[in-house]
Amino acid sequence: MDTLLKPALHIEKKSRRGYHITFAVIAAMLALSPFIIEGTSLVQFLGKCMCYAIVGIALDLIWGYTGMLSLGHGLWFCLGGYAMAMFLKLDGTNGKITDFMQTGGLTELPWFWKPFGSFPLTLILVILIPALFAGIVGYFVFRSRIKGVYFSIITQALTWAVYSLFMANSKFTGGNNGITDIASIFGKTKGSANRTNLLIIFFITLAVLVLVYLLATFLTGRKFGKLLIAIRDGENRTYFSGYSVNSYKNFIYAMSAVLAAIAGALFVNFNGSITPTQMTISYSITMVIWVAVGGRGTIIGAVIGAFFINLCEYNFSSGILVEAWQFIIGAIFCLTILLFKGGIVGIVRDNIPELIRRIKNRKNKTAKEAA
Amino acid sequence: MKKGLIKKIAVAAAALCFTMTISSCGKAAGTGDEESVTVGLLHSLTGSMAISEKAVSDAEKLAIEEINTAGGVLGKQIKFIEEDGASDPSTFATKAEKLIDQDKVVTVFGCWTSSSRKAVKPVFEDYNALLWYPVQYEGMEASENIVYAGAAPNQQIVPAVEYLIEQGYKKFFLMGSDYVFPRTANMIIEAQVKAAGLEVVGVEYADMEQTDFAAIISKIEAAQPDVILNTLNGSGNVSFFKQMSEKNYTSEDYMTMSFSIAEEEVTAIGPALLTNHLVSWNYYQTTDTAKNKDFVAAYKAKFGENRVTSDPAEAAYINVYLWKAAVEKAGSFDVDKVIEAIESGEISFDAPEGMVTLNGDNHHLAKPVRIGEIRADGLIYEIKSTPAPVEPDPYLTTYDWAVAAGIQPLE
Amino acid sequence: MDQLVTTLFNGLSLSSIYLLVALGLSITFGQMGVINMAHGEFVMLGAYTTFCTQELFANFLPEQVGSIYYFAAIVLAFFVTFALGCLLEKLLISKLYGRKIDSLLATWGVSLILQQAVRTIFGAQGVNVNAPSFLKGGLAVKGVTFSYNRIFIIILVAFCLVMVWLLVNRSRYGSRMRATMQNRPMAQCMGINTKKIDCITFGIGSGLAGIAGCSVALLGSVDSTVGQNYIVYSFMTVVLGGAGNLFGTVIGAAIIGFSSIFVENYQSASIARAIVLLIIIIFLQFKPSGLFTVRSRVLDEGV
Repeated sequence: MDTLLKPALHIEKKSRRGYHITFAVIAAMLALSPFIIEGTSLVQFLGKCMCYAIVGIALDLIWGYTGMLSLGHGLWFCLGGYAMAMFLKLDGTNGKITDFMQTGGLTELPWFWKPFGSFPLTLILVILIPALFAGIVGYFVFRSRIKGVYFSIITQALTWAVYSLFMANSKFTGGNNGITDIASIFGKTKGSANRTNLLIIFFITLAVLVLVYLLATFLTGRKFGKLLIAIRDGENRTYFSGYSVNSYKNFIYAMSAVLAAIAGALFVNFNGSITPTQMTISYSITMVIWVAVGGRGTIIGAVIGAFFINLCEYNFSSGILVEAWQFIIGAIFCLTILLFKGGIVGIVRDNIPELIRRIKNRKNKTAKEAA
Repeated sequence: MKKGLIKKIAVAAAALCFTMTISSCGKAAGTGDEESVTVGLLHSLTGSMAISEKAVSDAEKLAIEEINTAGGVLGKQIKFIEEDGASDPSTFATKAEKLIDQDKVVTVFGCWTSSSRKAVKPVFEDYNALLWYPVQYEGMEASENIVYAGAAPNQQIVPAVEYLIEQGYKKFFLMGSDYVFPRTANMIIEAQVKAAGLEVVGVEYADMEQTDFAAIISKIEAAQPDVILNTLNGSGNVSFFKQMSEKNYTSEDYMTMSFSIAEEEVTAIGPALLTNHLVSWNYYQTTDTAKNKDFVAAYKAKFGENRVTSDPAEAAYINVYLWKAAVEKAGSFDVDKVIEAIESGEISFDAPEGMVTLNGDNHHLAKPVRIGEIRADGLIYEIKSTPAPVEPDPYLTTYDWAVAAGIQPLE
Repeated sequence: MDQLVTTLFNGLSLSSIYLLVALGLSITFGQMGVINMAHGEFVMLGAYTTFCTQELFANFLPEQVGSIYYFAAIVLAFFVTFALGCLLEKLLISKLYGRKIDSLLATWGVSLILQQAVRTIFGAQGVNVNAPSFLKGGLAVKGVTFSYNRIFIIILVAFCLVMVWLLVNRSRYGSRMRATMQNRPMAQCMGINTKKIDCITFGIGSGLAGIAGCSVALLGSVDSTVGQNYIVYSFMTVVLGGAGNLFGTVIGAAIIGFSSIFVENYQSASIARAIVLLIIIIFLQFKPSGLFTVRSRVLDEGV
């Protein structure tokens, strides 16, 4: 389909080792960061970025590898987020009804809130709900062979529909406010007094990120991953080769949804609230942009992109740059897509070996000249 | 060749971005120095709420500038760091934390929507910082760490409904955008209207992104109300009134009482469509006080002759001065001491809207209530006002009908 | 009876607005396969052009000619967005042919830039566009009021539709365009300057968005986010009708417009939107590439 995405095999092997080293460095830096950084806000923010990185990996699996662009991953992120937030909210109210339910005129906890009173059940539901929902959606969508742009638009429509439902049923979901005023699983995380709680949840998230990375590289590094790429590059040929393309697609879609939901569930712990804004289409597109800028089709790219874009936003949307940051971020999107299809990872992969060779040559030359 | 050059430039730019990003991590802007003190401004400058929040952040900057020219606070000049909340509550929470923890600002002026306020509330409480919130809202909240300079429901909604009942309106139609302020406001209005033995003939919520109000207007036609209580927000108002006028409806056919239309919105909707409609606020550009003449003149001088002042902008302006008063009373920028000063109940300010006093118990302002009428020149004129400032009652505990309807939060 | 007539008229009017916004997309997306997420921002630019024209006329021309500003605005909006569309095509889109999804992401970046540009130039607050005097109010017929605005928009849509149809199916340019879109190498062999055709076609699609902006400005708020309200529905419209089919787009707009209004008569707006979207999703299960599709035996159609 395009040569940029398909480096020759020997390069691929070499660069894969580079990816792993890069990820190890990032993970090590993250692990050290709480001990270097003063205060809690940046640690808090890096925690959120790790959640974004998990979503990035989830998206990369279905887009970068399988070639299905979902413009609605905010939906799965939010399903996980809401599930966890419901548990944390009930934890805060001791199982009584919440403020928005009262405003909506409810006197009793709705039945579907009840399971979220228990922590183990919540954990199961965080995984089960998106898995089932995405599984069912995927089954129908892939069965009717909706692909490419049409798939993107359907996921967009679905996300918007669920968003509208969440907004409309404010007595059950908190509407536009979402579920607010919640602590993390381990209690409050904000402020220096609660630093220990923050560190626990930070390292749990880091562990999850590492696990998700390992899982993703494990899957994509084997025959399964090759099949995903085969589906991306020639779906019909894969089909004719006797593979059940639909089941593969459905599986990877549901898995991607589950990973995004896990990220959402972790995110709530840092954020202290979950709102339908995380479910909007523009937010979902932003997620795709992380992957595109980082470098699609490489798991490490998704991680780098999520950190890069979010750190940019964090730093540029304030102070003197406050008026200009939309220009900057818009330009970054356009330029990466236009000039660097491989994203940041692509730039490095395409230029660094060349650079090293040149330096080596020069050294050799000077050595020769000296001789 | 050319493409290669562009690529190289782009790589260089990206690398620059990256180093800037990394280097700006961890760097703290600091609390200022001997001569200055830093405050934070946190509003949406991008996204759907930028329409409204720009004016508020402008008013805050005006107040800061005025205070600086007059010699600052406790002899220190005020500097500000502005953050963009991007109309996303989570971004608000992140940025609030950044301002407090990383930039070490002494206080934050910010937020507009209830969802952004609710998202940052735990941040301010857990860090024990102080937020000055400038917009009228739905009440049912009184945080230690927030000062609410906008109207509580009993300073805007309740008096407006009382006025309408007095004027003999019998059938009420409630229409709002689908989010928490309209829903809570309508809950209050319904309780109040029913307690008066009158009738609510319909409740409709428009979508936040709604652009076509034809169906809602049909429902209004079918319900035949005397008056529409309008809690639509932002751009929804523009669509609604434009589409009402398409059907030749004026205030004679359907009177509206709006809670989110101030002078800024009148300009955007077009005064012609709003003539004689009612609003309820605490302040109008036309409010006749000496302080207000100065405020309007200063605002126009700084931001342009065609800009108008509005209630939220004025409340934001008040906020900065109240903070100054509280700091001066406390003799320190320390949050605990400032809160103590606030809770003394003795902080007041001769504001453009008249004398306002900060209630020490619930951190709201005692302020005058004014029912206004929009006229063809695009300004709002007071037609009725309370004789004295109304004490804030965010939970409506002093109203029997509200207690009877059980609209207070549970705890 | 009145109720029914009102509902039908509202449905027709809403459909025509969606159609007007989607018409440009049916060319850029349906014909060219470019997913232009900045289409909504072209609508916004059209609305702002209307505002600028209004201000220019109010300031520099006598009052009597005041209300004809609107016709000038329509023409201007078309040319402004046409020019910007051509520019965008030359700078960005032309580099991304065959990369549909990438064009989606890149134009998303463009839409961010355009929104901020408008905020920087006109301020974050919205601006006010007054309906010209001949479009104010409505025509009352036995208890039903037909707004002049909406009647005008319906006529405008019909006009645009006919023009587009003539352009695509009955003009020299149209046959060149279809030739280019259907078989590019062959068209090039025939001596057609396909680059120019691409550029102009994209420009026309964007220009139609500008016209849509003029009509949207009459109905609602004019601010930097106005385009976002329409973009998803207009993609739905094109997809529902079947990309590349003008008639399909008309039917798609009608389905979305009428069903929105009908459902909203009984439900709140949010629920109505959710239901309409779910209807579309379920519908696409049975007709994955829209109502009217060009039949083809090609297996791997461009993804």
